Amino acid sequence: MLFVFKTAYEQDFGLFKHAIQRNCYLVLLVLLVVAPFVLERFYIGELSELFIWCIAGTGLMLLVGYTGLVSLGHAAFMALGAYTNVILNKYGVPFPISIILAAFFSGACGLVIGVAALRMTGIYLAVATLAFAYIVEKFIGQGGSFTGGHRGFRVENFEYFGVYLNDPVVFYIICLITLLVTLWLLGNLLRSPTGRAFVAIRDSEISAQAMGIDLVRYKTLSFALSAGITGMAGALYAYKIGYLYPETFTIFTSIKLLMLVVVGGLGSMHGIVFGAMFISLLPQIIALVRDLLPIWISQRRGLEPFVFGSILIAFLIFEPKGIYGRWVKIRLFFSQFPMYRKSTFKRQKSFLRTERVH
Amino acid sequence: MDISQLVVTGIANGCVYGLVALGFVLIYKATEMVNFAQGDIMMLGAFIAFTLSSQLEMPYYIVVPGTILIMAVFGMALERGVLRPMIGEPPFAVLMLTIGLGFVLRAIAGTIWGHQPNQLITPYSGGVIDIAGIRLDYEKLVIMGGTGVLCALMFLFFKFTRIGVAMQAASQNQLAAYYVGIPVNRVVSITWGISAAVAAAAALMVAPLWWIEPGLGLVGIKAFVAAIVGGFGSLPGALIGGIAIGLVEQLVGYTIPGFGETGAYVFLLLMLFIRPEGILATMQRKKV
Amino acid sequence: MTLLVADSISISFGGVKAVNQVSFAVKQGELFSIMGPNGAGKTTVLNLISRFYDVDEGNLTFEGEDITQVKTHQVATKGIARTFQNTELFEHETVLSNLLIAHQQHKNTGLFSEMFFLPKVKRQELSFRRRAEDIIDLLDLQGYRDQMISSLPFGIRKVTELARALSLEPKLLLLDEPSSGLNPEETEDLSFWIEDIKEELGITIIMVEHDMNLLSQVSDRVLVMADGSELTTGTPEEATSHPDVIKAYLGD
Repeated sequence: MLFVFKTAYEQDFGLFKHAIQRNCYLVLLVLLVVAPFVLERFYIGELSELFIWCIAGTGLMLLVGYTGLVSLGHAAFMALGAYTNVILNKYGVPFPISIILAAFFSGACGLVIGVAALRMTGIYLAVATLAFAYIVEKFIGQGGSFTGGHRGFRVENFEYFGVYLNDPVVFYIICLITLLVTLWLLGNLLRSPTGRAFVAIRDSEISAQAMGIDLVRYKTLSFALSAGITGMAGALYAYKIGYLYPETFTIFTSIKLLMLVVVGGLGSMHGIVFGAMFISLLPQIIALVRDLLPIWISQRRGLEPFVFGSILIAFLIFEPKGIYGRWVKIRLFFSQFPMYRKSTFKRQKSFLRTERVH
Repeated sequence: MDISQLVVTGIANGCVYGLVALGFVLIYKATEMVNFAQGDIMMLGAFIAFTLSSQLEMPYYIVVPGTILIMAVFGMALERGVLRPMIGEPPFAVLMLTIGLGFVLRAIAGTIWGHQPNQLITPYSGGVIDIAGIRLDYEKLVIMGGTGVLCALMFLFFKFTRIGVAMQAASQNQLAAYYVGIPVNRVVSITWGISAAVAAAAALMVAPLWWIEPGLGLVGIKAFVAAIVGGFGSLPGALIGGIAIGLVEQLVGYTIPGFGETGAYVFLLLMLFIRPEGILATMQRKKV
Repeated sequence: MTLLVADSISISFGGVKAVNQVSFAVKQGELFSIMGPNGAGKTTVLNLISRFYDVDEGNLTFEGEDITQVKTHQVATKGIARTFQNTELFEHETVLSNLLIAHQQHKNTGLFSEMFFLPKVKRQELSFRRRAEDIIDLLDLQGYRDQMISSLPFGIRKVTELARALSLEPKLLLLDEPSSGLNPEETEDLSFWIEDIKEELGITIIMVEHDMNLLSQVSDRVLVMADGSELTTGTPEEATSHPDVIKAYLGD
């Protein structure tokens, strides 16, 4: 077992728990930086996409995993980010500025929805985001030449100083940097008062209020930030797929994002990465499974949603802490071997925890 | 198409939204769980009715109680098997679970019955009556009448039966209800049964009018919108909200073709800005 | 000097008068207790003061300021902290961060400085941390600092909640049955702490309590309630010997 001896309060709010952990991440970072120069084009592309899902997942994790709110329409914010970015580019706004503006625009839309929906309980946000996603999809479809309508449009490629944006290595680096910056900002936020306020709201709204936390203000802030980050992921995604049309971002994308945070592990930053890896690999897994199944099932349209839904249910019931939670248990098992007790992580079964004050 | 027809259709559709909304308000009040799969439970009810009537060729007076009974048992089984392990988990986890459940139910229905639309034929299908110059289809009439009867039944149930009163108590405070000797688990289970039965009744009434297909479950989304517009947590509010949504949808769809559904959602967002506690504000607004 | 005045406050839930025309005034530095049989409306009074419920009638005045309409989360900023009967802690956080959440009501950093974790934020974290350590020392929580609330026994949770309320640096502390669920030893410790809080920190306390020993040991005055109404107010001896009170507890 590893014991960490603390000699200063600063150690408690470092981004890393101890030097070994930090060094491990440094090694990982070096590997990721070297990767595009040794890997094949296909894998570079896959990794870039993984990074984009990580960014989108970071946005939703902030909302679901750290503030305890559910959005069923996060794909709409990806769509807003993607379209804003591409349309701004069309009107000559350069890429680094347009992506930031796209994030701000998504965030602003999130702010408006949040102001309306977050005065009541969390269910209101879930339904309002669902409605919002539907409206966004509809209006993008009816947007004529401005949004490309139902037929959509091609995303123009860019060239700055002789570098092409759609060059896999360049795009990979952009995605990696954006992801690192996003994770760094979120990590900072979570070790500061605002992040603690979010977590407080997640764990007990009643208590959070008694601690002087303005529920509406912090929930709205969390939702706006979440929408902004997800919008940024959408902006990058537009360049990844190279072609935009309204059906790129549907309720199915929203559910996929929810699955990312649940399966990865609610309330953990590692969970974002695990979850993103999971949803990136899932289509391949489904394709593999499809071959093994009898034809009358494998040819049905419903197989993919069925698998998605079942995995979501299974994780929520059997491993609510997700892949990351499982990983922590396995690690503890080996570090305490043979002293590990199964009851360490036993969940306390209780009566329903109510947010009503009795 | 004249306005009176739009209003009639709007009210009839609204009753259906309202009944589905009623189902999850019931569950919410009893357990504080939000069942996003309520629409899909209704969809399943419609398919059961279709199977009993068209495939097994049972008479209609058996189809109706049969469907309701099967769905009530299904609702209870669902609670026992999937939702009970979630007691004590945070509300957003339950919400996500039921979303997953909706996907699974839709996929299962698609696998069993396929994706081609079906229709339920009833003894009263196709009939029309003229009241004060307004053309009323029997189907719509049955929906409105049936909704009224169901609401009256539920009112009596909660007011006068032992189990109804116990359900109310459990919805106030589960732990306290447990202490005074109310079998909370059984009450919750029955609540799920009743809510699924209400969904089945809605399915029976709407199946002759709408196509039966797995996507039918998406009506649950509009039912949710209805519940919020009506004032979440209020049973009459769910119904009123449903009718409001039904009407908005028809009228907007008439004014701007193709935007009926969008109109309903925009209406929800506007409502949240203007009066977030809903038309009938029973749920105390969280102090902010 | 009077700190808090409740002027004939009432609230009803669905026709039942949970609190009916109750009036009292709490003096600065006093320990004011509320007792009464189950369902007398004691906790409801606390919920009214901490603004979880809106009063139907009457007024609440704190430090000469009318707080009847103040928003729930602003109550803490005014200097009123509370604990809950069955504890309402942030379950998935450590004891330390539970305390830090309370300290941060005095934060003066914005979103952007926090996102970049500027030196200002770091300094602020350090000062919160030092103050949290003071309270950890006061209530002997050193061993539990980094433990998750969900893994703690009930007694420690109770103490943690007291610590968290103190971290708000309140002028008035509302304790809702602080001894419920504690064993006699823990109750003993609690009575010492309560006296320390009152004497050394100079915090005024309103306490809802069942344990008669604890009550008479620490209270200056006691308000006795039954069925939502006030029966009597006085010193612990006066209150417990009042004929109406004996009747309310023992029946006719």
